[in-house]
Amino acid sequence: MSPYLSELQLDALRELANIGSGTASTALSSLLARPVDISVATARALPFADAVDAVGPAERLVTAVAIGVSGELDATVLLLLEPEDAAVLYALLGLHPADVLAPSALGEVGNILGTSYVNALSAMTGLRLEPEPPQTANDMLAAIVASVLAGRAGGAELALVLDADLAVDGEDCTMAFMLVPSQEGVHELLSRLGLEG
Amino acid sequence: MTVAETMVRMGEYAASAAAGDILVSLGLGSCIGVALLDRRAAVAGLAHVVLPAAEGRDGGAGKFADTAVRALVDELCALGARRSGLEAVLVGGASMFSFGGSSGMEVGLRNDAAVRAELERMRIPIAAAETGGSRGRTVKVAVDGARVTARAAGDADVELFPGTKGAA
Repeated sequence: MSPYLSELQLDALRELANIGSGTASTALSSLLARPVDISVATARALPFADAVDAVGPAERLVTAVAIGVSGELDATVLLLLEPEDAAVLYALLGLHPADVLAPSALGEVGNILGTSYVNALSAMTGLRLEPEPPQTANDMLAAIVASVLAGRAGGAELALVLDADLAVDGEDCTMAFMLVPSQEGVHELLSRLGLEG
Repeated sequence: MTVAETMVRMGEYAASAAAGDILVSLGLGSCIGVALLDRRAAVAGLAHVVLPAAEGRDGGAGKFADTAVRALVDELCALGARRSGLEAVLVGGASMFSFGGSSGMEVGLRNDAAVRAELERMRIPIAAAETGGSRGRTVKVAVDGARVTARAAGDADVELFPGTKGAA
């Protein structure tokens, strides 16, 4: 139970994340020409520190692609991969991790997945959403997630995080996919779903 | 001496006068770790600041630069620190991503400026700082010897304090 979101509201947000990540997985699948599995999405509203802890070990080095969303909803879509997973993804794209093109290729993968996710959200809610260009970072997991939370939901008491894992079938390549809406964004999503108040 | 690490998470603060205590904030991005130390009294504290100003919001004192610095100073003084003996070390405030927000300025930079302004208001000198840039950092504050170390992702610990001046 969350003190500010009901189970019904969290369920509806989880369903949005399921459909959004499902659409993103289809995009990844056609990009790589192989099947992609998705986990059931989770929707959690947690105090900031707990939200960061819930994502994983704070100092784990990860590769992140962040896509800002503006328009009628302020949010960030975050794609997180461990270095080994990123290496497999590069190989599937025909690149070496040290290739100068690797970071921009990863940014482009994040862009395609993030845009698919955002378009699915837009179609479901009727909100006009504009994805911004992707930004990549290689850094500590907590530093990345905390920076996104502070930038998006900093003023709120609880952070809402919607996430799902995508796994490339038959390859050791998993990535986490997260949506972090602003505080106003959470209410905007719920009101479009008819679940506000 | 038993060594105990206390995690100071996002929006939290902690102070200690126990020699074996080490206060730690892991993976600071745009957040700032504000270490306050009184070497003579052997008291140290760490606040993990998330945003520059409370602006009337209620998110716990540790979350905002202005309220966190004041709350930590109170806690340190309660443990025997003298306000005139406090020195500050700052770590964090990176800009990992820049989104087209309404603020016009990065959270990390704003946090850095807000913490420095509050310290100046309280007349607490900044002895060392490792802020800005684009990389995440971890900070550790050892009460014993008032030692502050920081490390960026994948790097080794670097001692920021007491540094070359040596302990008083």
